[in-house]
Amino acid sequence: MGRQYDNGMIDMKHITRYYQGFNVFLLTMLIVPIANNMGIMWVTVEATTLVSVLLIMLYFKQNAIESAWKYLIIATVGLSFALIGITFFYYANINVINSSDAMNWTEMMHNSKLFDPNLVKIAFVFILIGFGTKAGLAPMHTWLPDAHSEAPTPVSALLSGVLLNCAFYCIVRFHIISSSTIGPAFSSQLLIILAVISVGIAAASIYFQKDMKRMLAFSSVEHMGLISLGIGFGGLLGVYGTLLQIINHAIVKPMMFFASGTITQKYETKAISKITGVIKVMPATGVLFLIGGLALVGMPPFNIFLSEFLILGAGLKSGQFLATSLVIIFLVITFAVFLRHVIRMVFGNPSPEIKNDSMGRLAIIPVVILGSLVFILGVYIPEQLQTLVHNASAIINQGGST
Amino acid sequence: MIFSGAILLIATFGIVTRRGFADWLGAYRYQSIVLAAVTALIAYVTGIWEIYIAAGLTLVIKSIIIPKVLLYVTRNLEIEFKVETNPYVSLRASVIISAFLVALSYFLTQQIPFKSDPIVSTYLPISIALFLIGLFVIVNRRSALNQVVGLLIIENGLFLFTLTLTHGVSLIIEMGIFADILVGIIISSILLLRISRTFDSLDVGKLQNLRDD
Repeated sequence: MGRQYDNGMIDMKHITRYYQGFNVFLLTMLIVPIANNMGIMWVTVEATTLVSVLLIMLYFKQNAIESAWKYLIIATVGLSFALIGITFFYYANINVINSSDAMNWTEMMHNSKLFDPNLVKIAFVFILIGFGTKAGLAPMHTWLPDAHSEAPTPVSALLSGVLLNCAFYCIVRFHIISSSTIGPAFSSQLLIILAVISVGIAAASIYFQKDMKRMLAFSSVEHMGLISLGIGFGGLLGVYGTLLQIINHAIVKPMMFFASGTITQKYETKAISKITGVIKVMPATGVLFLIGGLALVGMPPFNIFLSEFLILGAGLKSGQFLATSLVIIFLVITFAVFLRHVIRMVFGNPSPEIKNDSMGRLAIIPVVILGSLVFILGVYIPEQLQTLVHNASAIINQGGST
Repeated sequence: MIFSGAILLIATFGIVTRRGFADWLGAYRYQSIVLAAVTALIAYVTGIWEIYIAAGLTLVIKSIIIPKVLLYVTRNLEIEFKVETNPYVSLRASVIISAFLVALSYFLTQQIPFKSDPIVSTYLPISIALFLIGLFVIVNRRSALNQVVGLLIIENGLFLFTLTLTHGVSLIIEMGIFADILVGIIISSILLLRISRTFDSLDVGKLQNLRDD
């Protein structure tokens, strides 16, 4: 941001608006997981949409306005489906017990065994479509590549690393309730179907990408697909792997966006074909970009390998052979095409007019921190994190007893 | 009761059949006033005082503030931006499709096991019909203004839906939803202005720079 300010691309008004919006955005995303009341959760998810629309169209560029408009319409319509789903759950709950807390998740969980199964099925479908739109699950993902590629870099990082997980978290909450009412088979099956479509579409789209940030955005679709797959497979191991995957993805994706933001400012383009030889122009950024790329496709010493392995292992264990093998095929395709793009950008000879200097040391620090986390979590998971993830997956599997 | 439901539907059809922005806003305002009356009616039947507040908020926000905001934003737009000249499906066909959507929503609500309750049986199909017609308007029309109106219809449908099914979620949530709509409308009007300036049109069919090919 500072550099763009110096270049005169943006003025003080934008800076103020950016920091206001950024912090409100963080606040709304913090309230989503804290809210016990499902209505308030919905209101805050809707609020994240509104704030992030403002952040995406910060520069009022033509493409940014277009993507912001698409995002606003698609996400708002999607979330109205989610509200219908929430209302159905609420209705099922007040049919059982008419208390003023009937909108609370804990209350719903408490009574979930008594819900009308048909009502819960309809409700979960609405929830899945609604929050699935926001979480970027295919085929409702169309806003995602536009919004992520046109937003300012830190906003892309937040959208990809945090917002998608917030939306997915809402799905998980209702998945727990519906599993408790009608057994996990129904909602898991739906989650797995959407997951396979997401990973497949992402694999195909990454192959045709010409724009670096769009490519990263489709990689987010792929990873949301994997996360949904893990929750769908279930089992202690699957859910554990999924939660790790959420954390790992939230570390790697911002790192990639920051690195690509630096590269974009340097080369003044986002086109993959015009970016070559990053490692010669900016050695540190180039190496980190390569590490992030390898981590994203799930190469062994890095963190995502571990969680993907756990998820796919859980899939084989739970007997979902078709879905697992399809996803493995798509992952192999993604591996090949994603790495092809990354390697083409990182290596090769830079065009002569690019000056050979780094972008300033400050820009590299967050990327280095995230990069070291990527490596550390790949070989060693701290005990605190282990306990946290383990307990969380126990809640998802058995239903919250709180 | 069925009479007020019919008026809601007629107002929605008014939006479907008209080309001009002023007509849509008029129909929307009309619909919102009836919606507020329906809300007050439900409050009277169920005897929950909080719903009266929701009715008042509906009246103030939806029938006064939102049309005012939209009129204010669009006051400088040229007249051709405010008219839907070329929808994807012609207006006559849209009326027939909307009628089908109403029939569909009556059919769908019969499939779901609800408690028999005069309020639910009267207004639930209508709320779903509003929702579906709103979706149809968004998909069918090219004008960005009309998409905003479509969102507003969807929102009215949702409001009626939650109200009839649950007799009003708690007041704080209603307030939150109202605040969301209001901010949403303000943000979308900023976007509308920007679209009209940058693209020199409000035709969303022209928003196609970003695509994968």
